[in-house]
Amino acid sequence: MHNTPGRRYLRTAWQTDAVNTPSPRDSPRGSSSRLGIGKTQWSDFTAGARAIAPLDPGSFVFGLAFGALVQVSGFNSWVGMSGSFLVMAGASQIAIVEGLRIGAPLVVVVLTALVLNSRLALYSAAVAPAYSGFPRRWKLGLAYLMTDQAAAVTLQYQDRYPDPARRRWFVLGASLTFTLAWYLGTVAGVVLGPVIPEAWQIGFIVPLMFVALMVPALRHRAEVVAAVTAIVVAVAFKDLPLGLNVIAAALAGIGVGRLIK
Amino acid sequence: MILLLAFLLAGIGTYLIRLSGIMLLGGERELPEAVTKTLRLIAPAALAAIIANSLLLDGGQWREFGAWQIAALVAVGVALWKRSMGWTLVAGAGAFAVLILVGL
Repeated sequence: MHNTPGRRYLRTAWQTDAVNTPSPRDSPRGSSSRLGIGKTQWSDFTAGARAIAPLDPGSFVFGLAFGALVQVSGFNSWVGMSGSFLVMAGASQIAIVEGLRIGAPLVVVVLTALVLNSRLALYSAAVAPAYSGFPRRWKLGLAYLMTDQAAAVTLQYQDRYPDPARRRWFVLGASLTFTLAWYLGTVAGVVLGPVIPEAWQIGFIVPLMFVALMVPALRHRAEVVAAVTAIVVAVAFKDLPLGLNVIAAALAGIGVGRLIK
Repeated sequence: MILLLAFLLAGIGTYLIRLSGIMLLGGERELPEAVTKTLRLIAPAALAAIIANSLLLDGGQWREFGAWQIAALVAVGVALWKRSMGWTLVAGAGAFAVLILVGL
């Protein structure tokens, strides 16, 4: 599908150059540019931003919850906030703050965070084909911005952007805006504290965001089998420590899904 | 400041995790079909694992059946019907708000 003619945007000789060297037409400056970014790039960027926009409130609210946790934990606000910039992965940040608050050793806390985030290695592999035509510095930057949500949106839209020189702007628009919502939410949470009543149970946005990412994109039988297997394994191995049941479930889902034609 | 040190170490490790697949598999050569087929199953499997862990479990214990699961079922139904992320979020959040308000 991603090789059908007729859906070629700007397919010129430099497209193949874009693999390793930055294209000279990367960001044409001129009357049609904004912030030094060309019109086409800007429209791809905003398309990415729009694609992920329904998830931005979830990112903001989750950031708000993390910020509020920092505030009530009694840690330095600036240091607490820095977690959203340095780690940029919600569940692991919460695990770090909670762990240190109850006096767990640094090594244990960091390892817990890394185990929780090891699923990002799976997403990193999943988006690798979509990123393969990007210049190295783009890969390095976009890797930092990669979240579950940005990766899932990238995978859903990659075929609509067969040209890597345009796809990278789409990916940047989706990844950066979602991350900005996370930063803003964190800052607001640290400043405002726990403004959201406990009774609202905003933790529900986690499964809801992931349902909204996964279910509409389910197409093939192998994907459904992979998802169902993962659910069964995640609950069957619920007693594994450090959230390892999630990793086991994802790997089992992939493995069993591969058995389906 | 132990919190800053923890964030720094976890941040460096997490960045390397995020970079791993992109750098190892993101070369110019075509990946074998067996690999690309496997990669396509990562998103549904990983997302489903997190859904199960956050919806059916709560810190490793069973989550009591109630508003969470009912609202999630509404969201799944709308997701299959509309095939739209936005509608799924609106329906799920709306259903959850109603269920919480009626005290479920």
